[in-house]
Amino acid sequence: MLLVLTSCSSQNRLDGYIYYRLNTNPTTLDPALIVDVTGGLISAKLFNGLVRLDDDLSIQPDIAESWSISKDSLTYTFNLRSNVYFSNKREVKAYDFKYSFKRVLDPKTRSPNTWVLENILGADEFMEGRADDVKGIRIIDDYTLEIRLKKPFSPFLSLLAMTAAYVVPEEEVKRWGPDFSSHPVGTGPFVLKEWLPNRELRLERREDYFDVPANVKGIIYRVIPEDLTAVVEFELGNLDIITIPASEYSRYKGDPKWQNLISSIKGLNTYYLGLNCSKPPFDNLNLRKAMNYAIDREKILNTIYERRGRLASGPVPDIIRRWDISYPYEYNPEKARELIKREGLNGIAINFYITADQEVVDIAEVIQFYIRAVGIDVKIKQLEWSAYKEAINKGEPDMFYLSWWADYPDPENFLFPLFHSSNHGAAGNRTRYTNLTVDSLIKKGQHVLDEKMRDLYYRQAEDIITKEVPWVFLWHRTDFTIRQPWIKNYKIYPIYSMDKGTEVSF
Amino acid sequence: MKIYLLKRFFLLVLLLLGITLLTFTLTKALPGDPVLSVVGERAQPEVIERIRKEIGADKDTLSQYFGYVRLMLKGEFGRSYYTNREVFDDLLLKFPNTLKLALGAMIIAIPVGLFLGFVSAYKRETISDRLISSVSVIGLSLPVFWSGLLIMLFFSLKLKLFPPSGTGDIRFLILPSITLSLPAIATLTRVTRTTLIEIFDMSFVTTARAKGIAELKINFIHVFKNALIPLVTVIGLDFGSYLNGAVLTETIFGWDGIGRFTMEGIIKRDYPVIMGCIIIGTMVFVLINLIVDIVYHYLDPRVRLHS
Repeated sequence: MLLVLTSCSSQNRLDGYIYYRLNTNPTTLDPALIVDVTGGLISAKLFNGLVRLDDDLSIQPDIAESWSISKDSLTYTFNLRSNVYFSNKREVKAYDFKYSFKRVLDPKTRSPNTWVLENILGADEFMEGRADDVKGIRIIDDYTLEIRLKKPFSPFLSLLAMTAAYVVPEEEVKRWGPDFSSHPVGTGPFVLKEWLPNRELRLERREDYFDVPANVKGIIYRVIPEDLTAVVEFELGNLDIITIPASEYSRYKGDPKWQNLISSIKGLNTYYLGLNCSKPPFDNLNLRKAMNYAIDREKILNTIYERRGRLASGPVPDIIRRWDISYPYEYNPEKARELIKREGLNGIAINFYITADQEVVDIAEVIQFYIRAVGIDVKIKQLEWSAYKEAINKGEPDMFYLSWWADYPDPENFLFPLFHSSNHGAAGNRTRYTNLTVDSLIKKGQHVLDEKMRDLYYRQAEDIITKEVPWVFLWHRTDFTIRQPWIKNYKIYPIYSMDKGTEVSF
Repeated sequence: MKIYLLKRFFLLVLLLLGITLLTFTLTKALPGDPVLSVVGERAQPEVIERIRKEIGADKDTLSQYFGYVRLMLKGEFGRSYYTNREVFDDLLLKFPNTLKLALGAMIIAIPVGLFLGFVSAYKRETISDRLISSVSVIGLSLPVFWSGLLIMLFFSLKLKLFPPSGTGDIRFLILPSITLSLPAIATLTRVTRTTLIEIFDMSFVTTARAKGIAELKINFIHVFKNALIPLVTVIGLDFGSYLNGAVLTETIFGWDGIGRFTMEGIIKRDYPVIMGCIIIGTMVFVLINLIVDIVYHYLDPRVRLHS
């Protein structure tokens, strides 16, 4: 008995497989339905789209080997590679993309991701049941696909790199019905061999992958909800790579055994305090400005956040902003107090909604301290995630703490959903900020394909937003992972779906 | 006996109806919207409305409830809003794990708890009694979250005896079972001690001693038999609650049981999952209570089942 018991757990490892941790079970692996990071990062290993993102966040060929865009920026013609096979050995043809895109738009699919493809001509008519077909998607021949848009839309190619635009085989979707969610079949470098929900997923390398096959034989994702448990598993060598939990960051950073095995990535995200512009007191511009002066963001970043991020000077993250911006607010409690006094708002109370996450609670308490110091009382209201989300979508709070993570690496992704007045509430603009000039600048940026012109519009929009401050812009988080010394060719990506899992090796 | 069981079964059906209705209305009254978990961070109002209609969340609570009861009568639990998986299949997958963990905890808790309680009672008011008492107070008040991590650090990281987490064979079961057994050991020790002490002072024990019956025989036949009823009650209660999942233990040790499943369902407002878990939980609890009642009858013939 004891002999069996003492056999160390690391001997349980499958040879040639790389072990990762997931903090939660992926909800679904059907690309049309995925909205969570976990599902997205796994589906990237199982599926491909027309295009994908390269290391420098530029658009690269995936199944489409080349494409052309018409002069009026409306028609995209994709030339597909031949000899790309689904894991059921059937070749991918242009029809499959048409089927997959229609499937996302089809109301019966219940896809939350219809917005990814809604710019295609005829998408609205099809979604509303007024047409049987999506007019804008045409199959020219087996290897040529033409997509026509309603209006020019500059980030369209980046959207096509998203999970929702992956190609799926019709026969397998029909065969599995709703269970396609757990029996995904795609073109990717790996196939799903086993999925024990809440326990483990096992992916196996495909030898017939159309691009360079993976170096590792397979991937095991272990679902481990508790951070400290994952750290113990990692230190025992049962996991190869983990994201460093906040509580362990300084320990690893200071340990000579580990510090050279830490990788970091500047995340495409923005953390912010949302100020509800649709009702008093934050419909008052000077009060919003006062909030931006009142909080010493740098100190919070350097202490509680242990410098795991960069200060934000606007909504668009530094790594995708191609222009300079000066953020007009430095920590200045005097000025904040003065603005508040001038508006006669001294001593009012605001409610501040947060989730129950411990890190968030710690930060919120410091923010409460700073705002109280300039003469405004802050009542923190802590809600669990589901209730919190409902409250902020409805516009209940005066102030809330939230972050936005990029779906695609384009400044538009940090402007249109978050600040355009058509997106109030659940669509992203939860501060209900409304400015018609900003609206039209964002729209103009969407319609121009020339990067320089686009940046000009985006920059102007961001300028106005940072002056009218519907947010207190906090920081862009940097993520850290740690790996075992035996792991080679490991790279960390700013967007989860970029990692196809083919490079990493032992 | 047959009539008794039939009656209990009938009561179970009523109870299930009551509990499901109560859970249903309570979860519906909670703030939070299941559709928001399905759609993610960027969703147009039309999409939200469409999905709400598709899962039937746009109807009023009562007709939703009856829809659910109809489904249940067909023997179905529905699919999770979120993962699209059959709730019934997931319960079938997770319940055996929960059962294993609960059994594991009880297998440790019962002998240890009884032994400590015995020692405590016999060595009443001595150092060992005080020691056991204080340890059991600590055992009761230690949060599982802390004791579990300490146990993991010691047995997995330091001694490398057992894997720290995962769901699988007996090696994976031992640490969570120990963790989960700690509060049960503490309760059992205390209940055993008080019960035994109470019985020691009863007149029939004195009589037995006066008749010159051997001390060992007194202890095992007379005292222990009489102490069984409260002990069976405590064991039944603990076992029943463990069978409804142990969220914290399951979370720390990555054990795939009912507790985590229920918790996730609640957090995401995944009503089919919540209801499925509640129904299974209720049935298990009722079943355990029934078994306890039947055991009472055999332990003490004065307890009549048909009355």
